[in-house]
Amino acid sequence: MTEIDPKSFIPLKTNWFQIMLSLAGGEQHGYGIMQEVLNRTTGKVRLWPATLYGSIKRLIEAELIEASDERPAPELDDARRRYYRLTALGKGVLDAECERLQELVRTIRVKQAQSLVTE
Amino acid sequence: MNFAWRIYRLLAQAFPHEFKLAYGTEVMQVAEDSIKDIAKRHGALGLIRLIADIAIRLPLEYLSEMRGDMRYAMRALVKSPGFALVGIISMGLSIGLTTNVYSSKWAMLFRDLPAAANAKKLVMAEKPVSYYYVEQFREQKNLFAGVAAFQIGVPFNVTFQGAGNAKPQRIFGQLVSPDYFSVLGVQPQLGRVLGTELDKAGGAPVVVITDRFWRNHLNSSPDALGQILRLNGQIATIVGITPKEFNGAFSINPAELFVPTTAPATLAPELANDVLHQRNAKEFLALMCLAPGVTIDSAETALDAITRRLDDQDPSLPPRTDKGRRVTLLPAGTRVPLPRQLRPVLLGFFLLLTGLVMTLACTNLANMLIARGANRRKELAIRLAIGAGRFRLIRQMMAEGILLSLLGGAAGLAIAYVLMVLNSQFRPPTGVPFETDLGLDWGAALFAFSLALLCGVGFSLAPALQATKADLTPALKEGLALRLPGYRRFGLRNLVMVAQVAASLMLLLLTGFLVIGIGKESSVQTKFDAHAMVLLSIDPVRDGFSPEKAQALFEKLPALLKSAAASRSIAFAAQPPFSAMDDYEARQLTAEDAEQSPRVQLSAIEETVGPGYFAMLSEPMLAGREFLDRDQRIEAAGSGTPARPTVLPVILNETAAHGFFGNGNALGKRLRDDQQSYEVVGVVHDLQNGMGIRRAISYLPLTPRDFVRTPADGITIMMRSDAGPLAGTDALESIRNEIALIDPNLNLFHVQTLSEFLDRSRASTRFAVQTYGGIGVFGLILAAIGLAGITAYSVVQRRKEIAIRTALGASRAQVLRLVLREGAALVLSGTVLGFFGAIAMARILSALTDIFVRAFSVGTGDLRLLVGAPLLLAAVTMLACYLPARRSVKIDPLKALREE
Repeated sequence: MTEIDPKSFIPLKTNWFQIMLSLAGGEQHGYGIMQEVLNRTTGKVRLWPATLYGSIKRLIEAELIEASDERPAPELDDARRRYYRLTALGKGVLDAECERLQELVRTIRVKQAQSLVTE
Repeated sequence: MNFAWRIYRLLAQAFPHEFKLAYGTEVMQVAEDSIKDIAKRHGALGLIRLIADIAIRLPLEYLSEMRGDMRYAMRALVKSPGFALVGIISMGLSIGLTTNVYSSKWAMLFRDLPAAANAKKLVMAEKPVSYYYVEQFREQKNLFAGVAAFQIGVPFNVTFQGAGNAKPQRIFGQLVSPDYFSVLGVQPQLGRVLGTELDKAGGAPVVVITDRFWRNHLNSSPDALGQILRLNGQIATIVGITPKEFNGAFSINPAELFVPTTAPATLAPELANDVLHQRNAKEFLALMCLAPGVTIDSAETALDAITRRLDDQDPSLPPRTDKGRRVTLLPAGTRVPLPRQLRPVLLGFFLLLTGLVMTLACTNLANMLIARGANRRKELAIRLAIGAGRFRLIRQMMAEGILLSLLGGAAGLAIAYVLMVLNSQFRPPTGVPFETDLGLDWGAALFAFSLALLCGVGFSLAPALQATKADLTPALKEGLALRLPGYRRFGLRNLVMVAQVAASLMLLLLTGFLVIGIGKESSVQTKFDAHAMVLLSIDPVRDGFSPEKAQALFEKLPALLKSAAASRSIAFAAQPPFSAMDDYEARQLTAEDAEQSPRVQLSAIEETVGPGYFAMLSEPMLAGREFLDRDQRIEAAGSGTPARPTVLPVILNETAAHGFFGNGNALGKRLRDDQQSYEVVGVVHDLQNGMGIRRAISYLPLTPRDFVRTPADGITIMMRSDAGPLAGTDALESIRNEIALIDPNLNLFHVQTLSEFLDRSRASTRFAVQTYGGIGVFGLILAAIGLAGITAYSVVQRRKEIAIRTALGASRAQVLRLVLREGAALVLSGTVLGFFGAIAMARILSALTDIFVRAFSVGTGDLRLLVGAPLLLAAVTMLACYLPARRSVKIDPLKALREE
């Protein structure tokens, strides 16, 4: 199989980025992803359930994430839920996207500094 | 909250199967877990958001599934390009053809006249009547909401303002009574239409033009209203423009101008001799709008009684005792007014023709899809066994059929468009223009398209259902050779194949009958070199000549033209020789001899010819004489002179003479029609035996009346040189110069040699022959493709069997015979069915209407066709069988047997 270039997914759709960012910390189930995004953004971004799973489906099809067969420690496990994790490609894509955003922030900072100087 | 949850659950159930299987429970769970939190944080708005989210997601998921299916189908089609191409081409051709036939014929025969609000209530008397009768009909307020009189195919020599000394253009219009537009229910696009209040006799001459005239001749100029045109040398003001698409009643002969009957006779020679007040001048078509609640039958009965009363009151008419209807009403709300009985027959014929074409294409597609479905049994069984949803598989297989028919439909629309463009470029050589530009009928296109889609869905669904319900075990174990499909098996596929062969033979034979019938009609043999005769038309009254001047011109013209070259002969006629004749121009004649009772009545086609006409055509008289110069001076009845018993000389062709008078001598015998009496002065050969059927023709002499009220084609001057062919444009140019010397104001038109004229007449029949022939050949090709596909499929399916046979020592010939036998059986039964089907259809159609009788009676008697068509079909289809069958002998038994 030919290697897929992570760059081909850049820029990521917002929903995709949020989901992948949630999975960067480790495996997570759907509800967990939703909660994590909600907490991280202090309630500003909510992934509604149907949209969430629509995105998950497409992320799996794009081979950026996968359903995990490993279960967490029994006391933490919710048997009804399926866990998702980033694939290697997914990690690469997330890294590339973060790189892009950092680059963007850097550019913005430079611009701001320049405008401060000129003022 | 509970309510919101219930709705949410319902919507979640509606997700596509695949999605539901993978994420259904999770979507529900997550929503269930968070619904309280959502309600707490966002309130009712949050719940609405939750439901909106899933409601938007639903169609998106379905779309994405469909896209997946379509992509899959596309890949599958690309992988078998032969299959895809054949499917698309056959669907495309048939949809294109069907749409085209319907667009032209349907619009012509069945669609309401454009822009005519009263189209549904319009009726027309089949035969022309006099203006006096129209006025009497108009009095019947309880029958008709309005009655108008009109003449179609009236030529006008039009000169445009500011065109300087440019030659006038000959443009066809209608002469209409001022209430014509109100009877039709047509409103103007600009300006006004004609009206009884505004357009009175003696007023300033006006003309209403069509949108087409406005576009083509005036560049849609906004200043067109009020502009002045010269019509036949007289001034007329443009007062209105009719709506788009409206080209008059009876618009198969489209009109571009409408001149009121109140115009002076100098403007419209048709109005000369006070024709509006001549009780017997049956020159006008009566167009009537039925009053509310009046049926066409009751109107016909009432009108017949009125006509009888009026006929009886006329002292100049001989008493008539005929029992039949004197008035027949036709529904006139279409471009071609058709007798009511004829409509269903024509409808049936075109339905049959296009139905056969569509059946062929659909069965072809069906065949291919069924074969493909069966071919994929093993693949499907494996996928089912490892847990693929049955619905999903079915949908995938259907996607292929749908995609194929969609592509075919698109190709079909493109083909229909191309055919339409080709069609509109074709101009038949008739004097009066003939509508060919009818546009695409989107209804027909939609119908054909949906039919294709339905067929695609239906015939991919059937094998999909069959394949997916199959017991998996045998399918998995045996793979392709699920059951040995022996040639005796009477399966769906074979049935479809037989139907296809039968339908294509029917199509081939029916179109063949037409082609042969039409072909025979156009076979004209002249007894001299057709290049040596020049035809040209003049129309002096429309060039502004007064009737006296026009008549004087015709008196002196032969001598003047002869004096230019001694070896030349000249004759006049009111129509070109050997012109295509319609029964439409036939006139009912009755033999007047008292000895025979009942009197013989025949309808004979009428041609009007001048002195020396038959000598010009090298036709000796069988008996009697030709018309002489003195015949040309007789005043015919109904031409303005007080009704005195005139007897016109008439020449009959053999068929007519025999019809009226048997084998006895026809000379000196009397005939009459409803206007006057005729005396037979001569008999000639049948000049044109079209379609193997002899038609009665009566030749009348050209009279002053014809010179003053020239027919649509003008007066044709025939000029034949004994010095040899008048080849090239030089000869024609010198004749033009000669005429210009005689009178520079005289316009010549239709200048051509006889051979050119005959070529152009043949062009129209050639066009018809090519159209019908094309349909027949198309059917043949489709059948061949279908049979080739099915044979190829059967070879693949029987690989194992063939391998075993070969391994056991079967020779190549034996194997080939085995495979071909199946195809041969299908072809044979299809041929037999199709043959008798075609004969039966021809019989039925000829029994229903005499339109097809001639074509079919010649065609069904033609041995070449009856034997040739089935043989051709059998040969082509067997070849189509043979080509893929050859593959069977190439099967390597070792390989084939190891495969399983």
